[in-house]
Amino acid sequence: MSGLPESFAVATHGLSMRYGKQAALDAVDLRVPEGAVYVLIGANGAGKSTAMKVLLNLERPNAGRAEVFGLDTGVHGPEVRAQIGYMPESHEHDYPWMTCGRLIRHVAAHYPAWDHTYAARLVEVFGVRPERKIRTLSKGESRRLQFVLTLAHRPPLLLLDEPTDGLDPVMRNRTLAHLAEHLADTPTTVVIATHHIHEVESLADHVGVLSAGRLVAQMSRDELRRTVRRYRVEVPEGWEAPAELRTPTLRRSRGGREVQWTLIGEERDVAARLAAAGATVREVTPLALEETALAFLAEEETP
Amino acid sequence: MLVNLDPQDARPLYLQIMDEVRRAVVVGTLRAEDPLPSVRELSAELVVNPRTVSQAYQELEREGVIYVRRGQGTFVSPTFRRGAGERRSLALAVAKRALLEARRNGLSAEELVTMIQKLAAREDE
Repeated sequence: MSGLPESFAVATHGLSMRYGKQAALDAVDLRVPEGAVYVLIGANGAGKSTAMKVLLNLERPNAGRAEVFGLDTGVHGPEVRAQIGYMPESHEHDYPWMTCGRLIRHVAAHYPAWDHTYAARLVEVFGVRPERKIRTLSKGESRRLQFVLTLAHRPPLLLLDEPTDGLDPVMRNRTLAHLAEHLADTPTTVVIATHHIHEVESLADHVGVLSAGRLVAQMSRDELRRTVRRYRVEVPEGWEAPAELRTPTLRRSRGGREVQWTLIGEERDVAARLAAAGATVREVTPLALEETALAFLAEEETP
Repeated sequence: MLVNLDPQDARPLYLQIMDEVRRAVVVGTLRAEDPLPSVRELSAELVVNPRTVSQAYQELEREGVIYVRRGQGTFVSPTFRRGAGERRSLALAVAKRALLEARRNGLSAEELVTMIQKLAAREDE
């Protein structure tokens, strides 16, 4: 690890947002390191989309503040938005009567950094037909057009809200492969909000889990892989887990003399605690990203 | 070069990529001075973060398996000997996985080894 302080593309400080009595965000402290591919996970209504809208200054928080590349989003809205390629969850475009080609030219005019050569390549990669009217596009076609509009100005920050939604499997794979290529060519920080976790798992290097507006976990993939593991242990008849093992538990299931736990902590410490409690550790496995996220979310639901 | 990543494999992706490159060198599908795909190409092909591929390449370079020629790309190192050492570390990795699976099934190392020998003898017949 370098001794330099990490710089963040996105940082929020005690961000809270409520709609009426409903808390959409509750004291959220996001930390997205520059250059990260950060996946924001959570159920519908967990606050993922709201967080993105606050970053764009499309929504004003009730408390706290957000920074994008060190700029306060509430004060520097336009400057911040110029740095961001945003793909909303919605597939609707603002000008349904335009053709795709016309809309691309229209959006290009707003971005001094628009790369026309790259835009032409994106049109090809995503199979966008410039002569088509926006209102006649299917959900998938609309998504593909959004990718052209989002990537062509090579913004330093991408906010993608359910980016693979509406894409067929072939196009989904092509899109994610192109995103990988884009990242290799252009220094970019990406925040992806999704519940299709396995689709973006191989791209992600940071993870945040939102549950009912609260950020219940946030760490790098390496840290997650190291500290959240499933332990399969054999226990004597009638064995009860000691209290100190119950606290950092995410999930537990039991079948006969075998207990399976998802526990947080360094493996050596956890295994030692299990052994001291009289359990024989049979297997320790790191979890796929989706399983880890589910474990965190399940913990939140059970009081 | 063919790189296959196993979605069931819980090890970090950069380690899996490193293993695949090493395997290709050991079995001879990659030879000295053969070019490797660029970070950009391989990350698009595998749909992984380019940083992951970079990390794998940097580690392999540090180990002397591959080297970078500025502006030209990445190549298999001519000094990398695909000798006993590499075969040993491959065997070690395979053995570790087998042993883990045996333990999971409540089998001892001895039972596993005996069965492997029996099986191999049968195949040789």
